[in-house]
Amino acid sequence: MSTRRRPALAVLAIGTLALTAACAKGNAGGSADAGSSSAPRPSETNLTELFAPPKIEVGTADDSKGPAIEPEGVVKGSTVNMIDRDDYPHLDPGRVYDNVTANFHLLITRGLTGYKKVGDNHYKVVGDLATDAGQVSDGGKTWTFTLKDGVKWQDGSPITSADVKWSMERLFAPFITEGPPYIQQWLTEEDYKKSYKGPYDGKELGNIETPDDKTVVFKFNEPHADANYALAMTGYGIVPKAKDTKEKYDKTPVSSGPYIIAAHSLDKSMDLERNPNWDPATDPIRGAYPDKWHLEFGYQALAVTDRFVADTGDDQKTFSFYTHVAAERTQQVLQDKSLQDRIMRRPSPYGDYYYFNLDRVKDVKIRQAIAYAWPTKQIQTITGGPDTSVINTTILNPSVSGWEDYDVFGFKQHPEGDLDKAKELLAQSGDPTPTIVYGYNNTPTEQRVTVAIKNQMAKIGIKIVAKPMDTKTWYDATGKVENGLDMYWGGWGADWPTAATVFPVIFGPVRDGGYNQSHLKDPEVTAEIKRIEGLADVDEANKAWAALDKKIMETITPLVPGLNNVGLQLRGSKVGGAEIDPISWVVSPNTIFVKP
Amino acid sequence: MLRFLTRRTVAAAVTLVIIAAVTFFLFFAMPSDPARLACGKVCPPETLAQARHNLGLDQPIFVQFLEWLAGVFVGRDYEGLGHCSAPCLGYSFVNRAPVFNTIIDRLPVTISLTIGSSVIYLIFGVGTGVIAALNQGKALDKIASVASLIGSSMQIYFVGTLAMYFLVFQWQLIERPRYVPFTENPLEWAYGLLLPWLVLAMISTANYTRMTRSTMVEQLSEDYVRTARAKGMSGRTVITRFALRGTLSPIATIFGVDLAVLIGGAIITETTFSLQGVGRLSIQSVVNSDLPMLMATVLLAAAAIVVFNIIVDALYAVIDPRVRLS
Amino acid sequence: MTPITPFLSVQDLHVSFQTEDGIVKAVDGLSFDVEKGTTLGIVGESGSGKSVTNLAILGLHDPERTDIGGQVRLEGQELLGADRTTMERLRGNRIAMIFQDPLTALSPFHTVGRQIGEVYRKHKGASKREARERAIEMLERVGIPNAKVRVDEYPHMFSGGMRQRVMIAMALVCDPDLLIADEPTTALDVTVQAQILDLLKDLQQQTGTAIILITHDLGVVAQTAHNVLVMYAGRAVERGTMREVLGSPRHPYTWGLLSSVPRLGTSVDVPLRPVRGTPPSLINPPPGCPFHPRCDYPELAGPELCRTQRPEISPDAGHGDACYLTLRQKTDLRTVAHAAQTTQTTQTAQTAQTTHIKDRA
Repeated sequence: MSTRRRPALAVLAIGTLALTAACAKGNAGGSADAGSSSAPRPSETNLTELFAPPKIEVGTADDSKGPAIEPEGVVKGSTVNMIDRDDYPHLDPGRVYDNVTANFHLLITRGLTGYKKVGDNHYKVVGDLATDAGQVSDGGKTWTFTLKDGVKWQDGSPITSADVKWSMERLFAPFITEGPPYIQQWLTEEDYKKSYKGPYDGKELGNIETPDDKTVVFKFNEPHADANYALAMTGYGIVPKAKDTKEKYDKTPVSSGPYIIAAHSLDKSMDLERNPNWDPATDPIRGAYPDKWHLEFGYQALAVTDRFVADTGDDQKTFSFYTHVAAERTQQVLQDKSLQDRIMRRPSPYGDYYYFNLDRVKDVKIRQAIAYAWPTKQIQTITGGPDTSVINTTILNPSVSGWEDYDVFGFKQHPEGDLDKAKELLAQSGDPTPTIVYGYNNTPTEQRVTVAIKNQMAKIGIKIVAKPMDTKTWYDATGKVENGLDMYWGGWGADWPTAATVFPVIFGPVRDGGYNQSHLKDPEVTAEIKRIEGLADVDEANKAWAALDKKIMETITPLVPGLNNVGLQLRGSKVGGAEIDPISWVVSPNTIFVKP
Repeated sequence: MLRFLTRRTVAAAVTLVIIAAVTFFLFFAMPSDPARLACGKVCPPETLAQARHNLGLDQPIFVQFLEWLAGVFVGRDYEGLGHCSAPCLGYSFVNRAPVFNTIIDRLPVTISLTIGSSVIYLIFGVGTGVIAALNQGKALDKIASVASLIGSSMQIYFVGTLAMYFLVFQWQLIERPRYVPFTENPLEWAYGLLLPWLVLAMISTANYTRMTRSTMVEQLSEDYVRTARAKGMSGRTVITRFALRGTLSPIATIFGVDLAVLIGGAIITETTFSLQGVGRLSIQSVVNSDLPMLMATVLLAAAAIVVFNIIVDALYAVIDPRVRLS
Repeated sequence: MTPITPFLSVQDLHVSFQTEDGIVKAVDGLSFDVEKGTTLGIVGESGSGKSVTNLAILGLHDPERTDIGGQVRLEGQELLGADRTTMERLRGNRIAMIFQDPLTALSPFHTVGRQIGEVYRKHKGASKREARERAIEMLERVGIPNAKVRVDEYPHMFSGGMRQRVMIAMALVCDPDLLIADEPTTALDVTVQAQILDLLKDLQQQTGTAIILITHDLGVVAQTAHNVLVMYAGRAVERGTMREVLGSPRHPYTWGLLSSVPRLGTSVDVPLRPVRGTPPSLINPPPGCPFHPRCDYPELAGPELCRTQRPEISPDAGHGDACYLTLRQKTDLRTVAHAAQTTQTTQTAQTAQTTHIKDRA
């Protein structure tokens, strides 16, 4: 998932993934515009030091046993309130792709696998309904999951392997278009809806096998070392075969999780009560400490922020899944000492890039000169100062498993740009005074960023021709292969915290509307991506991805990494166990509890 | 009057159909593709085709529009979702909920905001205007004109946000605005909306003060007002029955405009006060490329303008017998 | 001749307004009496203070902006400074007023029946139904045909003359003792004008109402007034019976007014002789006789007299004027002035109006 700014995240929450994957930089203001009010302070801390990347690994069968690890000082019971801007577009898990809806589904939907918090900033992919995170055989092509004993639907009937198979098969039905495509593609073909139309006409999908009520076997066409990561997506959450109402299921889902939807007023509020047939002993992931949840929608960031700052009455027992502190209150909140124990911060898990168009900027020396000279610090100041973003030096986001740090172009050492090195490289290049056409999203903040880039590049003799572009059509324009631009911003987020949904996409096929925005078509890179995708061992694959990251940056330099936004949220004083999840970048309900 | 109403109603219906058509076709000129939005981030061609089919976007635009239009009058059947009875405005592209129900659900919020605030600003605006006019040039008049100058230069998002920040969060003098249906509890209804009402009224009052004052000053020097006094009518009668009567037409005009643009104004108001009305719905529908919802909110906004125009025109004839309806 | 307590007595009336340019002395020491059943015509140019005087009688000036001095007594009761309710009780009831332009003076928002009826209800405590019946009766009385239907119509649906009849009906609905008619026929064409004036006369004969008729039209005065007051610059310059003032005018200003009236039978190439010059400023009136800058004969009364000292009208009743010329000079000059205008036709040439005067005389 990819997003850059808070409003973009909110857009994401209303189920418009494609838009957010294509969410233009600086879209609709957001925290980026707070920059105008915050001059850089002399005693700044680099947040990179504060936020070490999370450790995410695959857990064992033991790790997969319930109950979840309790947060310190946990208290059970009571009602917790949650306020956000938007209701969830889909309650049918098969139609969920975005992080916010997925996060909500932790309350009502279970899947084969999931992420268990095992310690501070430490997560494991474990079996959720399954007894472990999956058994791999056949060189990574066959994945076998065994269901736990005692896992039940909200009506008390047992969750069976047939339900799991059904849940996967129904994703091929025509009415489901919104969710992730990976498992379906791996089971069939790239354009997976062509080969199978879903189970409703009685046809089954042959390569999911259910030898007994407890066992599900996935037989993929190719090896997929991180299938258990993929299956942790809410899109692969389960739906009861016996109670599947197709289109209408989206309005009346059946819970497999710790709560049942007791009341739902569309776009306004939702009330959750305990699911008596959910057994914490089977669930290593969900704490489900409050007895009841009251969710309310329709609140803008400013209203949410002001309520949390005031912290009165019921608002003390209130938090927000995704609403960040409003841009206009950011400095106030950061500087108010009394709020410090109630703020939550986390850098985004998304990639944020200034892409070169390799079809046009062919000389790697010029690209690298620009990378050396890049005015990282200046941009950070303009977009909100060092409190609101961290400097990224790699293609992969630090939250991705296996990420390894490197800083080829000295973005951290020379945050204001290494002009000498840049001039040196330019002198060696084919054109020491190149002209670069830079397309930018025409927002006030981006205008200022563009001026900073332009001035900086002028210092090394590069002429920037700045081309303002409309926010609404930003991705359509830059997504074209023949876009007439040399450089432009783009974002990308991994669907799970490995590079498997990063490199194959952003350096994948070059086509109009595709996500390979640098138009990198290096046979060596393509071959390496293919090779790593075929690796059966996740750790080996992760290492290889990290090495590829550095190699691409060193030898090709198809992009300059952008700043990594730091999410800032507040919560009510009586809400415990709240933190911004490093994987989903929203506050997970799993550890939430209400203090007395 | 009947002929006038018939003629104007027919014209209004035609206007609305034209607006609907323009909105519909303009929507497809927008760069964002709702089918793409209803398809996952990684969206294979067949999935995109199905998403397009599910939303009914796979037919020629003209056919789509006619089907939509027919749905409004005779209802429509939706694959998998069932029958949508007339007036069917379709199902939301985003959450596949019936648009009509959503609109009906949200409309009371917007209407309550409008009614409550307009009662307040009419009373205060016209009242202050009359007082100012009767005290022309005196301190009261000057205070009123300065106050209305300040009021009219205020913006809802500014005053509203300040009011929320101080009155609700900092000093906790009043509870957070919320909507309780009038039918459920009229007191709670009024209390829940009091703050938005006051803020809205504070901004709009100024217009009415100025308008009332200037017209009233004119009216007071009218011959027929002098006649009324010469007839021995008491001061109050002269003001209410004669002078104020003459200010009704201009007040009705601006009031009509204020009511007509209620949905436009509601966007900001409802956002500022976190209320779930039609204004919020309309902005959401634009952000989400939710065509059926967008159509419904645009039409509602247009209908408001058209209807209030008719009402104001008809009202002119009621207020001023010299006006002939045609 | 003057009774001990005249019906309406105006004594030494002063009305002045505060304006940005200074104090306007609109009425400056005016006195006159009106008796029941008689009509006083007040004539003069625009701005001579005619309307201001009558608004002062009714107390319709804005007290904040106006200074009023002197006495206005209705049957001995002082009206200046009377409290609001007293005045409200008088207005429309004992003293009624007809305004110049019935189109603007009638409310466009109410039916004529309502406008007439509400006066009756206010002063006579009549019910709605009674008021309506009275309104119909009044409309019939002023000669509006089909009154039962027209009572529910709005002023804009009436013609100019009919509208003025509505005004009169409204003014007379409470049988007032005093009717002030401010240019009641100016906005009307000549035939309608005559009808309206006849109507006023008839009504006066029926009810014995005293009428103050404000006009700049000497013809109207000749047709209706018993007594005439000529005003100039806020002051009375000549006063007397209609026959006295129109038949043997004494003040040069009155001569000017008379010779500016076209006469029937006069050759068309004989020019009218309007009073030359413009009315004086009321903020800085000229010293001496306010008329002297426009007067043809200021030297005749002495070298400086007219320019330095203001002539006063004689306080006694009867024909009087405010001019320093001797009666002899006035008689001679009047003849010359007349002769100048009527050279060809001599004294036989008369206007319709003057014929009227002779008839009545």
